[in-house]
Amino acid sequence: MASKSTTGLFLRGFISTPKPRCSARPYHSYTHPPPPGPFTPVETAILSASLPHIPTHGFTHTTLSLGAKDASYIDASTNLFPRGAFSIVHYHLVTQRAALSKHKHILETSSQPGAKPPGIGAKVKALVWERLMANKGVIHRWQEALALMAQPSNIPTSISELSSLSDEIWFLAGDTSVDSSWYTKRASLATIYASTELFMTTDKSPDYSKTREFMDRRFEDSRVLGTVVGSVAEWVGFTAHAGLNVMRSKGVRV
Amino acid sequence: MALYSCGRSTLLAAHIPVYDFLAPSLINITRSTRSVRHLSTSAASNAQDASSNTPGSDAQSHPKRPSKPLTQAQRDFLTSALRVNQAGELAATLIYAAQTPPIVKAHPHLRPLMKHMYDQEAGHFDTFNSLLAKHRIRPTAMYPLWTVAASALGWGTALLGREAAMACTEAVETEIGDHYNGQLRYLLDMIEGMESRGEVIGEDLRELVGTIRRIRDEELEHLDHAVENDAKKAVPHELLTGVIRAGCKGAIWISEKV
Repeated sequence: MASKSTTGLFLRGFISTPKPRCSARPYHSYTHPPPPGPFTPVETAILSASLPHIPTHGFTHTTLSLGAKDASYIDASTNLFPRGAFSIVHYHLVTQRAALSKHKHILETSSQPGAKPPGIGAKVKALVWERLMANKGVIHRWQEALALMAQPSNIPTSISELSSLSDEIWFLAGDTSVDSSWYTKRASLATIYASTELFMTTDKSPDYSKTREFMDRRFEDSRVLGTVVGSVAEWVGFTAHAGLNVMRSKGVRV
Repeated sequence: MALYSCGRSTLLAAHIPVYDFLAPSLINITRSTRSVRHLSTSAASNAQDASSNTPGSDAQSHPKRPSKPLTQAQRDFLTSALRVNQAGELAATLIYAAQTPPIVKAHPHLRPLMKHMYDQEAGHFDTFNSLLAKHRIRPTAMYPLWTVAASALGWGTALLGREAAMACTEAVETEIGDHYNGQLRYLLDMIEGMESRGEVIGEDLRELVGTIRRIRDEELEHLDHAVENDAKKAVPHELLTGVIRAGCKGAIWISEKV
């Protein structure tokens, strides 16, 4: 798995759906059990034991060794992870993405009668916020993770994780569009998430209120841009149809 | 099924050594009954036939859940198959939508047929849209391109006249029929292989086989309609159908990939 996705071309991650086993995207079956995740049980044991050490030791090899020790494996077992500390980052990304589906209070429509159910947009926003808050414990170390993610050999996995996260959020929010907007929605959400996450690493305000405002502004920008593009497209379509119908009414055989 | 229409004419030619339109209607009785079609869009009966043909559909009686995940190859196949089917139905809806105004203006008697074919295609498109959303499959990246190309194809052939429009339908539906048959063959092989290994097959796979079977039959019905409406009389018939079929093949190939 590791060699497959690291040697994958950088562009591949953009153009085709990358083939990592971690991606939930290809043919999500409801009757067959899901395919195994990207980590073996041993790897999962070591990585999950590493997580408590992140706040003190960061996304480093030390954390990985401490995790191996805690999971009662020998130090050399960190050789299981040819990508070293990036494996912790990857594990964090995968587990936190999977944890999103547990936020039932967002996903389920409110039980109070008469209350307006939250729209897809509101759900998306709430899920993005929950995902950002999942980084709260490690946010002072998160720039190390961003540096690891930006290393050339790790970029395909990072991009694929970001797009999986974006896909997961739209799916959980109940979006069912399968036209070109599938791409624009995921791309814009990925941009919003990545920029807000970067903003959050420098945010010292209580309860991350500045981050919240930043995120709201990004969503608003994206909404305005979407409305403008949509209106222009609608106008062009309407004018073309009207023109064609005028020609038909004049007897032109079109 | 794709061979059905040509099979019928060769059969007739074998028995009656004259052009079939010269034969008295008594002999041609099979043809006249067939040409009276009721244009109903709901094909529930077809769907039921299809599901009863599915091998091992008795699995419904014991609702055991499948224990093994689908392999990467199987999921890759299902992903690209559903994606290309959605792209194809998108194109088909747009072709008929673009063909309808010029054709109906010149030949008002074709209005019910065009509407019927459009309605069926719109139903297929909805089916695949919901399947894509349900199974979290990425739609084709060529979506805008296919939109433009299909509308242009439908409109262009409609301007060339009724025969050309019908030749377009003939070419497209021949390709699509072959394409769906290929998918069905693969799916049935896959199900057979899984059954022989003793794996339980998910309900969604069985349903998919039924759905594709029903849609395939409806597409081939359109092919018969096109041939009945003088598709073969389009002037450069070979050229027109050849180009359109090559275009379809290319589009299918691309949509399977991206």
